[in-house]
Amino acid sequence: MTLKRRRQLAGVVFALPAIALVVCFIGIPIGQAIYYSFTEWNGLTSTWIGPSTWTQAFHNTNLWTALRNNGLLLLSVPFALGLPLCIAVLLHQRVAGWRIFRSIYFLPTAISWVVLGLVAERFFAYQGTLNSIIHAIGFSHTSTNMLGYESEALIALGITFVFTMIGTNTMLFLTGLATLDPSLEEAARIDGAGRWRIFRSITLPHLSRFIQLAFVMTVIALFSALFSLIFVMTGGGPGYATTTMEFLIYETGFNQGDFGTAALYGLILFVITGIVGVVQLRLIGSNE
Amino acid sequence: MTTLLTPPTESPTPNPTPPVKKPRRVGRWVLFGAMIVVAIVMLYPFWVMIITSLKSESQFLSGGGFSWLSWSSLTSVIPIGQEVLSSTIVCSASILIILCVGLPAGFAFAKLRFRMSTVVFLVIVSAMMVPLQAILMPEFVNVTRLHLTGGYLGAIIVYASLGTPFSVFLFTTYFRGVPDELIEAGIVDGLGYFGALWRLVLPIAVPAIATVTVLQFIQIWDDLLVGLLFIQNTSERPITVGLAVLAAGRTTSIPQLMAGSLISALPAMLVYLGFQRYLVKGLTMGIDR
Repeated sequence: MTLKRRRQLAGVVFALPAIALVVCFIGIPIGQAIYYSFTEWNGLTSTWIGPSTWTQAFHNTNLWTALRNNGLLLLSVPFALGLPLCIAVLLHQRVAGWRIFRSIYFLPTAISWVVLGLVAERFFAYQGTLNSIIHAIGFSHTSTNMLGYESEALIALGITFVFTMIGTNTMLFLTGLATLDPSLEEAARIDGAGRWRIFRSITLPHLSRFIQLAFVMTVIALFSALFSLIFVMTGGGPGYATTTMEFLIYETGFNQGDFGTAALYGLILFVITGIVGVVQLRLIGSNE
Repeated sequence: MTTLLTPPTESPTPNPTPPVKKPRRVGRWVLFGAMIVVAIVMLYPFWVMIITSLKSESQFLSGGGFSWLSWSSLTSVIPIGQEVLSSTIVCSASILIILCVGLPAGFAFAKLRFRMSTVVFLVIVSAMMVPLQAILMPEFVNVTRLHLTGGYLGAIIVYASLGTPFSVFLFTTYFRGVPDELIEAGIVDGLGYFGALWRLVLPIAVPAIATVTVLQFIQIWDDLLVGLLFIQNTSERPITVGLAVLAAGRTTSIPQLMAGSLISALPAMLVYLGFQRYLVKGLTMGIDR
């Protein structure tokens, strides 16, 4: 009896620092964000306005532009999953030197998205690699400047995003493939199934959990990890063409000094990622 | 009949339609070619950084040439030493807190269950899903009011709080796999709970500690937003922030930016290459077993 009580007490004491840190620096700010979203707030003084801040925010075109940009970027998700899937299947064939290739493929994962953004900026720039390639294959009078045009900058950002996700997602799929029982494929082959048929009927269903997890991680990254790329590549521009929700929060809060509206935008982002997060928790939970 | 003599791994089928040897070898070469192409694409950033950093500003603009100028004058443009030091301080302090807080909590949630511990655990784990941007404004004002943005402390505490949910999750999952008897025995032996934590649990947890350390190191070293906002003195900037600010300013010479990028990428790459398996383990935690 006392032993049980002592063990519980020890449990509380051990867990307390983690609880305190999470409550103080994640929990309380969520509550504050809700409060401040109803106020006019410049960081020092806040005045209560009420629910009209929300109706006002939804009339702001910048919010809709940012949401639209995030929505359009979602179109890159199939590529951010499909390409790594192909690469993982390639690696899984265990061609000579596949371990070296694996290390090379994952190497960009270690680099900051700030650095990758810098390189991407050079790639898409007017005097960058992309134009060199275009000229080299014969279109010497065609030049692109994707980051300079509202209609194309978001595409360039999407391509960069796909590149940055390749390493992580390939790693996930490769782990999934490693847990696949090779005798299953072998049996199917003996039964006369072709490569494509084996992939569709055995490999893909086996990978479904990994694909779901990769999907959720990719979408969350899309909503909360693009800041570095945008900051160095476009600064949100031209205009608001590459401003996503997270960048709009930063821009509204720190460039315009409108802390209240930024807090409100933060809550919208919180709800979006919350929905995606619930899906992920269910995926993890369904496995335990 | 000859098919029976070939080893089963080479030709598994008596099925005559795919002629066994030749296409397979061709297939291997196609495969190898595809892998080379992917490797070129993935190595592209490194190639750009190296080639560009080996040009002077004018050589970069005109296209040709080679020079060490960007490297030799690098420190006059980017305070590399100071920035790497800042990154190192922020990284190590944050990771130390994340470990010191996460390990006992994970142990508690797995082995020393108390009332409501499951609920508390779930709440902490769901905090993993909260992106900093969602709470950025209140967080910034709170940390500023606590007068922590002057030095490294503000950034450290924010990184530590953001990393804690993941480390609690990872340690809890890890300790669930350790048999209860092992810990019971230690406590009965008179170690006490703190003694057991220090002498029994810590040594067992080394792989989990390594996983948390590697993942958080790469995450924090590569991060921009926290360092940008929560470290106010420009002289205390971490390297990633320093590079991003220079790049956004559009006035620094590109070759020098690339040289700085290369230096900033080096530590994370070395950690990654050295501890690759821990990275994979942490990433797929909870799904592969």
